[in-house]
Order: sequence, then structure tokens, then C-alpha cells
Amino acid sequence: MASLHCRSSFLFTFHRPLTLNASLVTSLYRQLHTTSTFLSRSISTQNENKSIPINIETSESEEEFRVYEIEGLKKLTELKKSKRSLNQPSPPRSKTMPVDQDWTDVWPSASTFKWGTVPFPVRQGRILSSSENEGIVPSKYGNLELMKPPNFLHLTPSHIKKHCAVLKDFCTQWPQGLDTDEKCRRFFPLETKTSDYVFSAPSIRDDRARFASIKFYLSDLKLDYHARDKFIRLVGDRYNKKTDEVTFETGRCPLKSQNIEFLKFVFTVVYFESWKHEDWENSKELQDMEQYFWDLNASRKNCISLLKKIKTIDENKATESNRLDYLPSDILDEDTLCALPPIQDYKAAIEDLFNEGENFQTINKYKESVKSLLNIQENVSL
Amino acid sequence: MSVSQIFPKSLPVSSFFLAFRGISTTSSVCKNRKCGVPKVTPFRTHPLTYEEAQPPSKIYVTKGWLSWNTSNLYEEKRHAETTFEDLIIRKFMFGTWHGILASEVVIKRRHNMIVLAFLASMEHALQRQVYFLQGYTEELLTNWFKCPVKVELSAVSSKNDVIFKKI
Repeated sequence: MASLHCRSSFLFTFHRPLTLNASLVTSLYRQLHTTSTFLSRSISTQNENKSIPINIETSESEEEFRVYEIEGLKKLTELKKSKRSLNQPSPPRSKTMPVDQDWTDVWPSASTFKWGTVPFPVRQGRILSSSENEGIVPSKYGNLELMKPPNFLHLTPSHIKKHCAVLKDFCTQWPQGLDTDEKCRRFFPLETKTSDYVFSAPSIRDDRARFASIKFYLSDLKLDYHARDKFIRLVGDRYNKKTDEVTFETGRCPLKSQNIEFLKFVFTVVYFESWKHEDWENSKELQDMEQYFWDLNASRKNCISLLKKIKTIDENKATESNRLDYLPSDILDEDTLCALPPIQDYKAAIEDLFNEGENFQTINKYKESVKSLLNIQENVSL
Repeated sequence: MSVSQIFPKSLPVSSFFLAFRGISTTSSVCKNRKCGVPKVTPFRTHPLTYEEAQPPSKIYVTKGWLSWNTSNLYEEKRHAETTFEDLIIRKFMFGTWHGILASEVVIKRRHNMIVLAFLASMEHALQRQVYFLQGYTEELLTNWFKCPVKVELSAVSSKNDVIFKKI
């Protein structure tokens, strides 16, 4: 209340000096007219504001004798004319501007269509008959339809050139080594994806913008067979087997940067977790294997025992041509025997046959490996 | 659905009247009701602007929208807020620019900015009045909606200039 009171009293004091000033001015004028103080006073007191300038003129032109003017008798034509001229609009800018002007100065930024500024003739609207707008498509003058949609008058080629010239100072050279997408992927293996949302509202915040995702290729990580298998099991359906990509996505934190940090943390944890060997992992048996391993299966034992039997027969009976050439003469342990090239081929062929499934390639490979393993000749007759 | 379909001839007449006092369950036709299409006057003296002359069914065909925003797009927010703000703006503009508005107000929203585009008739207004009202409108609406509001008006000399047809 106190402030309100002060405000009102201030307004009061503000108005009073104004009235005082007005009376001071009139008194000044009164002092000027020393010759005819009476008349001027009697007129000015009736209508102070309007009659003062007329009084001055009359006093200057007719110093000897002043004519008493009855207000309203003489028409004040000059004053009315000046009022009208104020109301008349100036001609539209498009008619006065030069042809070779810079359009970017006329239309510097995005703005609604202005019929007075746009220099070219343009029409917008639909008419059905001659009763509508006298049968003419509405012109740009006073056309609201042209003001509705966004226009591109602020994006002419000269505008774009100016924008580029200004933005060039903020641009840097593209790194020289990164000329192909393959190199970009190799040197920057981690791909982060976030979204920003542009919409019309007083706030720029959008809770959908917090979602972040990271993507990388599993082949870029340093993993052995066990770690890779465990990594794939840990990430579940986030691993795309066809493209070898792993994608982590989250929106659990309120901010985008927090989500990115969280994803990088998860990535690190999963990587080191996949390298760990837990105790219970050693109890994995042959039935638990996710694919066929020749070394763990009975096929290895059978193959080695067969080769050993062949070797004993070779040493005793066989002729030079029927012997297996690749078997060394001295007795070997099983691991060095398995490292021999024909046996490695045989191993790869069998693993392919089980893991990939039976097709022409795997079966042919298996056939060739068996033939080289047992030294089966083409012309053998069964 | 005709009467004979509802009532077979064997039923008494009293049931006929009873049924028509009850609740109608068939969908109404509404063929005589319409909105946004002004009636024709006897001597075709009522002036219409282009905006008024096009029926609402012709929006996006022969005339554009009066509100441009992203709120009504798929999965966007602030439908209610934007609509209510538009209503307030239109009420405010009608009262503030009374007698000067020669068209509807086009409300365009770009990011956090609201742009008001309309035609102002200079028939009964001085230029300085229009300049004052422009600043007044921008200042008040900016403070109310907490976002920049811009008035981008085009002047026409008279409301007669925007008459499209007379009905």
C-alpha cells in the first residue's frame, strides 16, 4: 500500500508542474503583447491551447489594429489539410527502390511476405466465377494467403554467399588421412548417436533428446575365442551377427551426456568381464559346447588310433608306394601328430561340416581331406 | 431405416408412438447443419474476405492454415497449450486492434518465437497509432507467453481492398 500511495502521489506531482508550465507559457505570450494586452487576454483565457498561435500571427501582421476573431466563424482549412497529409500512406517500397540494389539489405532475415516490399508481381488464390474478385486471381496487395506460408526470400543465392563468407572463418580443414569411410571407421571405431529435437515451444528442452546409443564392430576388439563368446552371450540381442555390430542404447539418465558416459562405462565393464574366467566356467562339458570342436570329440581319438595302426602296418608289411608319406618315422606324441597339415585339414573339414552344415563345399572339402589323410588313390578299386 | 422395418404391421399403433418418443439409436444425418460457411443475404451485400469465402473444407486446398506450429504433428507435445495460447492471442488482437484488423491473424511459431501476421486497415488509424499498437502488442504478449512475439503486419488503405466477394 505504501508503494502504491507513493506512486499515486508522484503522478500527482508530475501532472501539476505541467499545468503550471502551460500557464507560464501563456503568461509569457501575454507579456509579449504589450500593445494589446486586454484583447489578447480576453481571447486566450477562453481557449488557451488553440488560439495562441493565431494570436501571435495576428499580432505580428497587424500591429496597429487587431481584428477580433470569433472562433468558429472562419474555417481553419490549412490545419485540416495538414492532418490529412499525415494519414496518407507513402508509396510502396517496391516502386521506389532502384533496380540494381542489394536484395540482402532489403530482406535480411526470415520474414512474412510484405506486398509493399516484394518487387515482382505474384498472385495467389482461387476464383470460381466472375463474382469473385471480379474474375481475377487476387494480386499480392493485401493478400493474406501469401503471408501464411514461410517464404525463401531470405535465402537467395546472394544471401547464401554472404552466410558462407561469414561462416568460413569458423570452418577447419578436413583431416587429410580420413578420405574414405573405411579409414574413418578404422581410426574412429566407436560411433555415438544422439538426437536433437527442434519444435515450436517456449522451451528448447525435450526429454526424448536424452537417448544415446554407441555402436562398434566386434572385430575391432581384442578378444580370444572364449572372451568373444562370452561377450556375445553378455550383450545378448545387442549384437548383430550379420553385420558384426554391437549397439548399446539407453535413456535411463536424465541427460544426454550422462547417458553417453554410462554407455561407455557399460562397454568397458562388458569387455573386461568377458575376459574373466569364472570357476563355474570350467565345468562346461561336451554337451554344453555351443559348436563342434574336433579336439574334444571322439573323432580325434579315432583318427589318432587309426593313424597309429596304419603306421605299425606300414612298418611291417606295406610297400613304399602304399605308405603314408607325411607320417614321420619316429614315434610321436598325439599333439605333434595332430599338428601335421593333413590332419589339420581334416580337422577343419569336419568342424565345418558340423558347424556350417552339409553343403557342396563342406562335403567336398571333407572328401578331399579324407583322401589326403589316408592317401587314397584315384584308381583304387573297391 | 423405415418404420415398416422397425414395426411389423401386426403390432398395435400405440407401440408406434412409444418408439418415436424413445431414444434414437441411429446416427443423425446433420445435413442442414454447417459451420464456417456464411449465409447468403437477400441482395448479396455482405462482403467477405478470401479467408471467409473459402469454406473450412477447403483448408490446405484453396487456403492455408491460420496457425503454424509443430504441436499437432505426430508424437509432438503441447497441443493444448498451443491451442489455448492461440485463442488468447486472437482475443487480444481482436480487442487491441479493434477496427484496424482487416484480416484474420496468422500465428506462426518458429522455435520459441511467435510471429503474428495480419493486414491492418489504415482507414481509421494513424501511422503512429499503428506503431504504438505494434510495440504494445509485442511487449505485452512477450511478457505473458515468456517468449519473443513479433508483429509483422502489412497495411492496406481500406477494408474495401480486401473484399473478395459479396454474398
